[in-house]
Amino acid sequence: MDIDLLGDILKLVEKPARYMGGELNMTEKTDGEVKFALCFPDVYEIGMSHLGSRIIYNVLNKRTDTVCERAFAPWVDMEKELRSRNLPVFSLETKRNLNEFDIIGFSLLYEMCYSNILMMFDLSHIPFRAADRDESMPLIICGGPCACNPEPIAEFMDAVLIGDGEELISDFMDTYIAMKRKGSSKQELLTELSKIEGVYIPSYYEAEYSEKGDFIGMKKLVSDAPDTVKRRILKNLDTADYIGKPIVPYMAIVHDRVALELFRGCTRGCRFCQAGFIYRPIRERRLGTLMNMAKELTDCTGYDEVSLFSLSSGDYSAIHELVPGIMDEFEDKHVSVSLPSLRIDSFLKDDLEKIQTVRKTGLTFAPEAGTQRLRDVINKGVSEDDLLRSVTDAFQSGWSGVKLYFMLGLPTETDEDLLGIAELARKVAGAYYSVPKEKRAKGLRITVSVSSFVPKPFTPFQWEPQDTAERIMEKQRLLKDALKGIRGVDFAYHAPYTSALEAVFARGDRRLAGVLESAYSLGARFDSWDEHFKREAYDSAFEENGLNPHCFANRRRDVNEPLPWDHIDMVVEKEYLIKEYEKAMRCAVTKDCRKGCNGCFGERYADYCKVQ
Amino acid sequence: MRIIAKFSKGKEVRFTSHLDVQRLFQRAFRRAQIPVAYSEGFNPHSIVSFATALSLGYTSDSEWFDVKLTKYMNPAEFMNRMNETLPKGFAVTEAYDAPEKLPSLTSLMYAARYIVMMRTDDADVFKTLSSSMEEYLGGSINVIKRTKGGDKEIDIRPMIYSMRVISVAENTALIEVIGQLNVSGGLNMELLLKSFEGKWGHNAVTDVHRCAIYSEHGVVLPKFKQQ
Repeated sequence: MDIDLLGDILKLVEKPARYMGGELNMTEKTDGEVKFALCFPDVYEIGMSHLGSRIIYNVLNKRTDTVCERAFAPWVDMEKELRSRNLPVFSLETKRNLNEFDIIGFSLLYEMCYSNILMMFDLSHIPFRAADRDESMPLIICGGPCACNPEPIAEFMDAVLIGDGEELISDFMDTYIAMKRKGSSKQELLTELSKIEGVYIPSYYEAEYSEKGDFIGMKKLVSDAPDTVKRRILKNLDTADYIGKPIVPYMAIVHDRVALELFRGCTRGCRFCQAGFIYRPIRERRLGTLMNMAKELTDCTGYDEVSLFSLSSGDYSAIHELVPGIMDEFEDKHVSVSLPSLRIDSFLKDDLEKIQTVRKTGLTFAPEAGTQRLRDVINKGVSEDDLLRSVTDAFQSGWSGVKLYFMLGLPTETDEDLLGIAELARKVAGAYYSVPKEKRAKGLRITVSVSSFVPKPFTPFQWEPQDTAERIMEKQRLLKDALKGIRGVDFAYHAPYTSALEAVFARGDRRLAGVLESAYSLGARFDSWDEHFKREAYDSAFEENGLNPHCFANRRRDVNEPLPWDHIDMVVEKEYLIKEYEKAMRCAVTKDCRKGCNGCFGERYADYCKVQ
Repeated sequence: MRIIAKFSKGKEVRFTSHLDVQRLFQRAFRRAQIPVAYSEGFNPHSIVSFATALSLGYTSDSEWFDVKLTKYMNPAEFMNRMNETLPKGFAVTEAYDAPEKLPSLTSLMYAARYIVMMRTDDADVFKTLSSSMEEYLGGSINVIKRTKGGDKEIDIRPMIYSMRVISVAENTALIEVIGQLNVSGGLNMELLLKSFEGKWGHNAVTDVHRCAIYSEHGVVLPKFKQQ
């Protein structure tokens, strides 16, 4: 991409800083043996907020043999400008065309970004299907949480990286470079790559379907390919590479602060939560390591906020030393601390008050369901008392706004559970008014934010049907009516069709590649953005491909039925998931595994987990 | 202590917005460990004010800001420390120890000087540029301004203090514009460029560079001289 031409194009688009590059701490390497384009199939401000991509960027650029540059999906206005000039997607660092890289790697955070992958290929004249790409084309890979069921996008990828990326990407590059030096063919390269733990080569397998069109299993096409591809697990997070000197964007991004990853994994075992299962076991960073990281990261970025980032930050074993420690360190520097993923019961009033001394950040709580029965089904071990105690603490400490997250359409949900959400909101409002007027802040605001449940692979609910979009809308209306008249309550909810499509792609198989191609050609892109989501494009795409989306999303699957992701071994045993599923149906809870092992890894990998 | 400083914004960062620039300076102060004073209240923020915003896409070597410090710092050291940490494209080029009672930069501003570079593939369009400039400036220059209350026609001619063609090459033209820039408002360069388009009917790509911001009496900012 010519730099002057880019300057002229950027005068025509909104938020031109998305395509500018040159941010503080950007890696500038003139050359390396291998050029790696790290792509995020959404806009800059979202992609730059992704911690995993920042880790990979650092790991790759620390290597002397590799240059890693970033590319993001051009927003619709930029796509139009590029397309009208026949220009490809380009990297921010050197403005190099995407198709001039040796490797293109996509971070897959959510299913609704898949159509953007095709858009980025298309602009760069890269054939969609791996089978249609010759040796002159870049090697195309992906990783991230969606890679645990890679099947819907498997046909587009040469290789899929499954699990923690820190060591996996290094091993991948070692092999890639060794093979490149030998002058190997792509097939020889793939053979070597397939021997790395965590690398899945989709072309080594073929999906089989019954005459009725049900998925019946994967057939190996290459005898040496592993029967199952095991997820890569980073054993020691404390000593692992982190984000180095992170890039500081010019434009405001979604998570515009220092992200301090306290630990990976989660011990709670909420049954709807995919992250809670696919990132096991829990691995913590030491307190001293985190304190040093916080200092180094704020020093080299100038950020005024440190976010304690994890699946359930309040569970960090030294949280009551870490929060005051960081506060003391940064109080004079006007740096604040935020805890984005607090669990209601892990909360302490002292910490709340500490947080407030520097800056007031929003408070969010996630009871997820409206009744104790349903919270037991999903194993969200939080009681109404926990919630009310926490919000009362918050109101007494001067907060007047809280956000409550719930899910709609959870397994076994009834109208009573929905009305329970409204009841809970009413009690939270009551907790506010129970604080004497002179002691509480003015202007109560309770945001009840409701998302739609999407059953995900590798969770105990992976066999469960999703409510149809129509049913979700009925439930939303019911809840909306029930919330009417409660003082200070705002109701926020999601568009149901997007969640329906997410459910299809989350548990889909290889036939969905054709659906994506059809939908893309009918204009689908930026599907997670309500203003761009084209429902008709997908409706036609399913029809064109002779597939029924309800078979993927709204059908109860039998636990004995072959699943399209069975050949991916996420280390948690399938038997364990079945056991959890059965317990859910009995409203039986499973304890936090910090309180004793529940045996989720079975005997095979029991030694992977240090939690006793 | 109060420091008033001048900085430049280069081509590589011209698409950062005014808000982006404010944010990046706050971060740069922190990295450079400048003892910036903070406001009181729930959301304390550093006490920094910028003289004026620069339009998205423009370059400049004459942007100004005013920052309050909690203790004395040599302005030269301030400048050095900032330049060690500012991203490429930004540089502090002057810094002064400013008296506390000095009025704000915004109230000192009087005029600004811009260089407009126009580029076009159609070589003919610039031929009449020099000869018709006098006539163009002779009358009123009416443009449509978008406001909250709808589109409004305004005459921007009174805000143009001087305008001349510096050079015309085959397909580029350089024009110098000096216009009003004070506390009550300034010459909107985008509207002027639109009017150029209407006048000469060209389809040029324009780059705008701000070269100077003047004060009326030469306090901190250079003194404005009628051309």
